[in-house]
Amino acid sequence: MKKGILFIGMFVFLLMIVGCEEGDASPVQNENDATQTDAQDLTEDNEPVVVTFWHAMGGALEEALEELVNHFNAAQDEIYVNAEYQGTYDEALTKFHSIAGTDNAPTMMQVFEIGTKSMINSGAIEPIQTFIDQDNYDMSKLEENIVNYYKIDDQFYSMPFNSSTPVMYYNKEAFVNAGLDPDTAPTTFEEVEKASKAIVDANPDMKGFSLLAYGWLYEQLLANQGALLMNNDNGRTATPTEVGFTEEQGKSVFQWVERMIEDQTFANYGTSGDNMISGFLSGDVAMFMASSANVKNVIDNAPFEVGVGFIPYPENIERAGVVIGGASLWMMSGVDEHEQQAAWEFMKYLQTPEIQAQWHVGTGYFAINPEAYEEQVVLDAYQVLPQLKVTVDQLQSTTPSYATEGALMDMIPEARRITETALETVFHGGDVDQAYQDVVDQINAAIQQANRARGE
Amino acid sequence: MNQLAIPHDHLETLELKNTLKKQKILRWLKGMLFLAPSIILFSIFLFYPLARSIYLSFFLTNNTGVPTVFVGFENYINIFTSPIFRNSLQSTFLFVLYTVPGAIIISLFLAIIANEKLKGIGFFRTMFSSTMGISVAAASVFWMFLFHPTMGWLNQILSYVGVDAIGWLTDPKWALLSVSISTIWMNIGFTFLILLGGLQSIDRYLYESADIDGAGYFYQLRRITLPMLSPTLFFVITVALINAFQTFGQIDMLTRGGPQNQTNLLVYSIYREAFMNYQYGPASAQAIVLFIIILIITLIQFKLGERKVHYQ
Repeated sequence: MKKGILFIGMFVFLLMIVGCEEGDASPVQNENDATQTDAQDLTEDNEPVVVTFWHAMGGALEEALEELVNHFNAAQDEIYVNAEYQGTYDEALTKFHSIAGTDNAPTMMQVFEIGTKSMINSGAIEPIQTFIDQDNYDMSKLEENIVNYYKIDDQFYSMPFNSSTPVMYYNKEAFVNAGLDPDTAPTTFEEVEKASKAIVDANPDMKGFSLLAYGWLYEQLLANQGALLMNNDNGRTATPTEVGFTEEQGKSVFQWVERMIEDQTFANYGTSGDNMISGFLSGDVAMFMASSANVKNVIDNAPFEVGVGFIPYPENIERAGVVIGGASLWMMSGVDEHEQQAAWEFMKYLQTPEIQAQWHVGTGYFAINPEAYEEQVVLDAYQVLPQLKVTVDQLQSTTPSYATEGALMDMIPEARRITETALETVFHGGDVDQAYQDVVDQINAAIQQANRARGE
Repeated sequence: MNQLAIPHDHLETLELKNTLKKQKILRWLKGMLFLAPSIILFSIFLFYPLARSIYLSFFLTNNTGVPTVFVGFENYINIFTSPIFRNSLQSTFLFVLYTVPGAIIISLFLAIIANEKLKGIGFFRTMFSSTMGISVAAASVFWMFLFHPTMGWLNQILSYVGVDAIGWLTDPKWALLSVSISTIWMNIGFTFLILLGGLQSIDRYLYESADIDGAGYFYQLRRITLPMLSPTLFFVITVALINAFQTFGQIDMLTRGGPQNQTNLLVYSIYREAFMNYQYGPASAQAIVLFIIILIITLIQFKLGERKVHYQ
């Protein structure tokens, strides 16, 4: 008995100790980088200023980025940019949150677009606007749609960097075999269904279309119908309190997939983009949607001719366009001013037309600085790969509106996982009405929880 | 006389008691001194995080994990009313049910046949225990290729036989089973090695006497091998159970909790809630639930085990 009381007493004591240190960094420790912290010590006259740059570009994209960084480091000797891969966007953001405001924080970091609100709320960042004002830097030369996304309350919090939109890839050879015109991609949901049927009829071993269970694609298909993801103008005028799309808009994507499953023209690759692309390359499916950042990679690896088109929309609705995806660069507030200035130089360097041209051609992300499209590298590349141009056209023909500006909210990553589960349910023949209702209920609950947690 | 003797005796016992008490305290201090390193380490790496988790589970937090709003037991109520969490509990129990007996039965079989004294048996022993040397990440990548919907070997073999392709990792009916199969494969190496060690330490004389008495192979297996192996089996089962409840790596690599949350096992669900949704409060509540589940199961196991296990 006595032992029990003693135990409980000690336990309560332990809880109290734990409770006393609210403001402490989260218990999750970041194991990496003892090396970067001494960057501050290096600001002697002839030593270069070291800028630590966290990014989330893996594989072929990492190589392309490394090339830009090496180019920058070789061109001058005052600044040395140390680029470090930190895993996927999600993982990198998690790492940042656990070390935000400490000495382990990088100088600058690449964060995906839906992390924007979360970064602002973290309080550990310096808005890019500070440096824009200081230099009178001209942001208007950047692509208008990108400026629309990243300009929040007339302020730039971060520097746009890599932006992509989803495009539809299709197998031209399969189109020819099915008696379809290989030079025009189907533009509406209904046309995609028809084309899929023709493809399956011509070749029973090939499925017509595949949609990845990826929340981002669902958001894009909504935006393309002019639908808002969140209310309060996609969170642009006030913090969202619930979802912003109507039942018709929200269900349309599910119903579209359901119809293709009935026709047995739909290929299900779940949530694995790699599997889907390898399925496309080996001729198991004729059409799929993915980020334009894959254009170069897919075309290089396909044994057939690849067509690239705009993403589809329901027939009875006008096409509204796409939301820019991708990421932007954030400046941290707790670091040395020399480092900040050095990072700012690097950010400006990345905006230059030459660099953007190289980046666009090398990856399929579009150039955020439209002047890049005049560069010879780009013009040459378009001769060889005209498909690269589709993504640019799609973005430039987008109607600016709250829907295509994209939603601003800190729990969007969670919303994406909710829609992904619903998409998978539909892919496996689940009830569309139920799946849709789950999406709405769960996202609304998540929004409310997030608002409460912020004390609003 | 007698009247005088009683208080004298009393005094003596009191003194004795005092010295005993002193010795007791001294002994306790000595004991603590020896225990200090482990107490300190456990406090830092186990008790503190545990207490912190319990504390966090009563709060909502901001994105960096700093508690903001006190909500009492709401996080617990929410997770138990959430169909996603109930589903994840169900998947976890199913997963344990598939992998623990699966791995142990297969390993036991392999250990018994590898215990025979044959030429070149060392080669087979090495083969059977080799999966122990493969990290979860590497094994997952390997299984990912096998499970690939169109190019994977498993589906290619099926198509030769004329069976329709199976969405191993994409079909909600199959995904948990597929992950379980790969997990069993990964666990066989370790389980096999421990069981083989257990088998080899069984006294040869037992079998010799049984042979003389004319007991058959299966009779010996049932009456000698299994009872003598029970402490090892008990250890293996305990470790396998706890490991199965804490499975994370292969889920993260193979399915990321999908399709339709069918493979969203508890630890992955905690990870997702905390580090992808930044809901540290509900995540901590789930962690506490997992802790309680493992605690109860381990207690039950020890209570049952005490009766069944035969120690030499």
